[in-house]
Amino acid sequence: MKKFRRKSGAAVTHLSSYEVELLSSLVTQLVEMISDGEPESYAQPVSDDPFELWAQDLASDPDQPETHEDPVLQRLFPDAYPHDAAASSDFRRFTERELKTKKVADAQVVLERLAGTDLGAGDLRIPPEEVQAWLRTLTSVRIAVATRLGITDAESAEELSDLPDDDPRVFMASVYDWLGFAQETLIAAV
Amino acid sequence: MAGMPETEGGQVTPVGSTAIAERPLEDNLLDIPWVTIVWDDPVNLMSYVTHVFVTYFHYGKSKAHKLMLQVHNDGRAVVSSGSREEMERDVTAMHEFGLWATLDKADQ
Repeated sequence: MKKFRRKSGAAVTHLSSYEVELLSSLVTQLVEMISDGEPESYAQPVSDDPFELWAQDLASDPDQPETHEDPVLQRLFPDAYPHDAAASSDFRRFTERELKTKKVADAQVVLERLAGTDLGAGDLRIPPEEVQAWLRTLTSVRIAVATRLGITDAESAEELSDLPDDDPRVFMASVYDWLGFAQETLIAAV
Repeated sequence: MAGMPETEGGQVTPVGSTAIAERPLEDNLLDIPWVTIVWDDPVNLMSYVTHVFVTYFHYGKSKAHKLMLQVHNDGRAVVSSGSREEMERDVTAMHEFGLWATLDKADQ
């Protein structure tokens, strides 16, 4: 891919069909992971009605763990109160459904825009009102890929730039670099 | 977290009273400020972290940049302060942007 450039207000680049498929697949996996295989239950708009929110809360899985076991979800939905497990759990209960719904909504914006390129036949044009959704989704996908790659600090991140060719992480490491390039140039273009 | 506040007149808070019901009172009485802390992580780009501070907090470029460097160099930075409710809102927003954020009492 080339850098994002600003053209009449929009951020524009061109992705190959392969890049469109790759990014769509990563974002789809993100949605699956966040929604625990039930994307439709998070696709509805967040209600302002406290009673409805309460009903949704009751309808959600009562066995849902208070903290996540998956390290990606732990990083995407971190504890708000590191010294207070009970307060963190309350916070999670009151905020996480809405947070998940927003992340899924952001991801849908990206997926629809990617679908609109007709597999890279046309330019990718991100209008200003979609930029934040794109940046947030690229961030979530980068966090997911980084966690799977075992990036926990600056050293482990550095290590990936120097992998031997036959290392099984080479492909994901190149995807991670690509996502970073996309995000960096998108920020520069807006 | 700190324990129950001592009420004026030396009244004893009954054991097992509901902590949540007491909480807002505690915050209002003592006016304890809370802070939102953003922690360094190896994934988020420096330009993105600055962008988030400008976009969400409406900080000027140089203040946002300075805060981002503080996160990067010191491992953490206090990015906002206010009531507990306000800080919960800020932390949620940071999580929405994918930053690693927590809230705490200002003196900790």
